[in-house]
Amino acid sequence: MDFAMQPDSEEMQVFRREAQEWFAEAMKDGAHLKFSANWSTRENEEEYEFRRNLARKVGAKGWMFPVYPREYGGGGLTVEHQMVLENEIGKYGLTLEHIFYTLARLAVPCIFTWGTEEQKQAFLPPLMTGEVGCWQLLTEPQGGSDVANAQTTAIKDGDVYVVNGQKTMVGSIHYPDFFWTLVNTNPQGARHENLSWIYIPGDLPGISRSPLNLLMGRKNTVFFDNVRVPEFYLVGGENNGWKVGNTHLELEHSGGGSLGEDGLVKHLIQYCEETESNGAPLLEDPDVRDLLADVLIGSHISALWGRRNWWHRYAHRPHGYGGTQARYYSRMRRLVVAERLQQILGYHTLIPNFDVPEAIDFEHAARQGPGTLHGGGTLDTDRLIMGRRMGLGRPTAEQAPITTPGSSEA
Amino acid sequence: MDLALTEDQAMLKRTVADFMKREAPPTNITGWLQGGVGYVPELFQTAADLGWLGMLVPEAYGGAGLGLSDCAVIFEELGRGPLPGPYFSSGVLGAAVIAEGGSDEQKQRWLPAICQGEEIATLAINDRGYSWGPGSVEMTATDRPEGLTLNGTKMFVHDAAAATVLICAVRHGDGISLALVDMNQPGVSVTPYKGLASPSLGEVRLDEVHVPRSAILGEPGQGWAALERALIQAIPILCAYQVGGCQEVLDFTVEYTRSRVVFGQPIGRFQRVQDHVVDLVNHLDSARWITNETIWKLDTGNEAISSVHEAKAVASDGYYHACNYAHMVFAGPGTDYSHPLVAHMIQSRSLYQYLGNPLYHKRMMMDYLFPRALRS
Ligand SMILES: Cc1cc2nc3c(=O)[nH]c(=O)nc-3n(C[C@H](O)[C@H](O)[C@H](O)COP(=O)(O)OP(=O)(O)OC[C@H]3O[C@@H](n4cnc5c(N)ncnc54)[C@H](O)[C@@H]3O)c2cc1C
Repeated sequence: MDFAMQPDSEEMQVFRREAQEWFAEAMKDGAHLKFSANWSTRENEEEYEFRRNLARKVGAKGWMFPVYPREYGGGGLTVEHQMVLENEIGKYGLTLEHIFYTLARLAVPCIFTWGTEEQKQAFLPPLMTGEVGCWQLLTEPQGGSDVANAQTTAIKDGDVYVVNGQKTMVGSIHYPDFFWTLVNTNPQGARHENLSWIYIPGDLPGISRSPLNLLMGRKNTVFFDNVRVPEFYLVGGENNGWKVGNTHLELEHSGGGSLGEDGLVKHLIQYCEETESNGAPLLEDPDVRDLLADVLIGSHISALWGRRNWWHRYAHRPHGYGGTQARYYSRMRRLVVAERLQQILGYHTLIPNFDVPEAIDFEHAARQGPGTLHGGGTLDTDRLIMGRRMGLGRPTAEQAPITTPGSSEA
Repeated sequence: MDLALTEDQAMLKRTVADFMKREAPPTNITGWLQGGVGYVPELFQTAADLGWLGMLVPEAYGGAGLGLSDCAVIFEELGRGPLPGPYFSSGVLGAAVIAEGGSDEQKQRWLPAICQGEEIATLAINDRGYSWGPGSVEMTATDRPEGLTLNGTKMFVHDAAAATVLICAVRHGDGISLALVDMNQPGVSVTPYKGLASPSLGEVRLDEVHVPRSAILGEPGQGWAALERALIQAIPILCAYQVGGCQEVLDFTVEYTRSRVVFGQPIGRFQRVQDHVVDLVNHLDSARWITNETIWKLDTGNEAISSVHEAKAVASDGYYHACNYAHMVFAGPGTDYSHPLVAHMIQSRSLYQYLGNPLYHKRMMMDYLFPRALRS
């Protein structure tokens, strides 16, 4: 086995230097920004503009989707290039997948896998190059876990689909260009055989939204009132949405993996080194050390599983239960970390520190504990999915789909 | 990055798995457990003949001189048994201590014989099993012109009854010496433990036992440093054995969720039962991936000391809890001594302590990463 995340061939060393220089230039004007996290409570206009433009620049180079073909807006590069790029942008506290709030990381693989050639040519380049942003719309008020029970309808009328219904707990602050939406195209049809995915332009008449103020920041309810969407925008075939959703959910459920580092833990250690209590740094306190050991180990396990999933994804050997396992574990762990923070820092955990990026701020972590347990599915549905993928109580284990193009050498 | 086994490793894995299926199927394992058998000499000899005891030993001393990652493949499969016997204690740990601490003459004398299975070397560090640092070595050697005289008891020695030689840590002058004690000489006696202890654990009593000067490993009083170096290499292999145990427990538990029907449905359809398996597999994969990465670090010369401590903490914890979660799924039948789960549970408890328990290793990890200021 080889766990090295830094490909070091001659070619990659050259590419790394190129990427380093490029990012140094591109990030220059944002040096003073302390980036906000996903679904932020603190994102401001200046930060948004900076990140929105950065995505366009990264996208224009094909670097948002390095291993996808150039003709669709990807980089036409190898998995090794992708590792280098993830590493370099990671140094600025960002990821390729989340330069600004867009869920292209989910919509792109679905459209790439399931769309017709015309749809791919029309939809993918703007998404992959960061020209447009998109939200994912699955959850409905009657219950997000039962995804197959979507009641937002899209009924064929000539050459359009007429969409009616509402989606909730979706999106972020800035209104998107598109909604990647799960709809019911046959209300009388059998369960799992009546769903479709439709890529809805945000500017069509009949769409409205109302904001939701959540622990983790801004989400929305989006209403569709007789919205007429041209049939061209239905992706993957009418009533074939459950299958298309397999690609979507595999990635939503962390099957994509990650190569990121845990900046929060580093920050915590640093804090404990610098902060004295009872006349000695917190880091000298035996009880604090025991608590920190558990935090470090949990963080390490999360990171390793992220790396494992990343490798399985790009080697085209999807790991059956690995995605949901990583997601479930990291969520349970965030709750533990939130508690450890209070045990170590006490009240200080409850006050935000705007001088550091939000992702490594302790108050954010404490909110994240309960606040992000359920994005894209709950702990319970994670365990259900793991059960299916391991084949518990079933003759065989359910397989995971391949979600990503690219070389099979990761 | 490449997280798959190499082709050679995949083949080796199949070979060992076949061996286990043939020679040590679950019925044998549970039979040995119930008979108090901690070691089956014929199997041990077969393993030696196959070259599995000297994987890490340099070729010059009769070993294979391979990396940890190959060795780990073997021990993961043995752990699936869990196959009892001094495979690890002698073939990996004992050999590593002698390789790290011994003079060239001592290495020539002992290592080829250990690789061949002719000598079985097991290690006794602490006297009473409460802790594993240098302070836990209590037995004090009496220095005589012709060598050392040892008196006292080393508790909880793994594979004590099988061993032909005990690598015994003793206080000697200002330091710690490693004395090679011939287990067949007068004054040495071994008493196996009863109860939940693994049948291979024994108490070694030394009564006026004489050790010639030539049987002090390396420089007198300098044993501890050699021991530390050996432990860093050997512990990840023990972790791999524990990972194998977790994997086997998972596999037969998953199978049981399919075959056991209660309330008219396979129990794996109950969400509560699924929860136990999810917890089980999370422990397995925690242990597996930290162990894998640690081994990669050691094989590639990356700094790995804190990872080794972390791996032992997580793998010991993982095996222990994997068995607990399996017990939740198996309910009554899982508590029968003829059930393989009992063999794993018992093994997991003793390995939890072996070379230091999770709490000890987590503290070692922290002390290594963040050395504490010395304050009075
Ligand atoms: C930070 C955040 C971001 C989000 N972003 C998005 C987004 O971008 N797009 C989007 O579409 N949605 C989004 N969501 C919504 C999210 O997908 C839903 O919250 C989630 O799917 C659960 O649905 P629910 O909240 O309606 O809970 P419910 O489905 O009502 O579940 C209630 C309880 O019942 C349990 N339960 C339900 N079914 C079962 C079962 N079969 N077995 C056992 N227990 C069960 C659940 O585990 C839970 O405890 C987001 C949520 C959060 C918190």
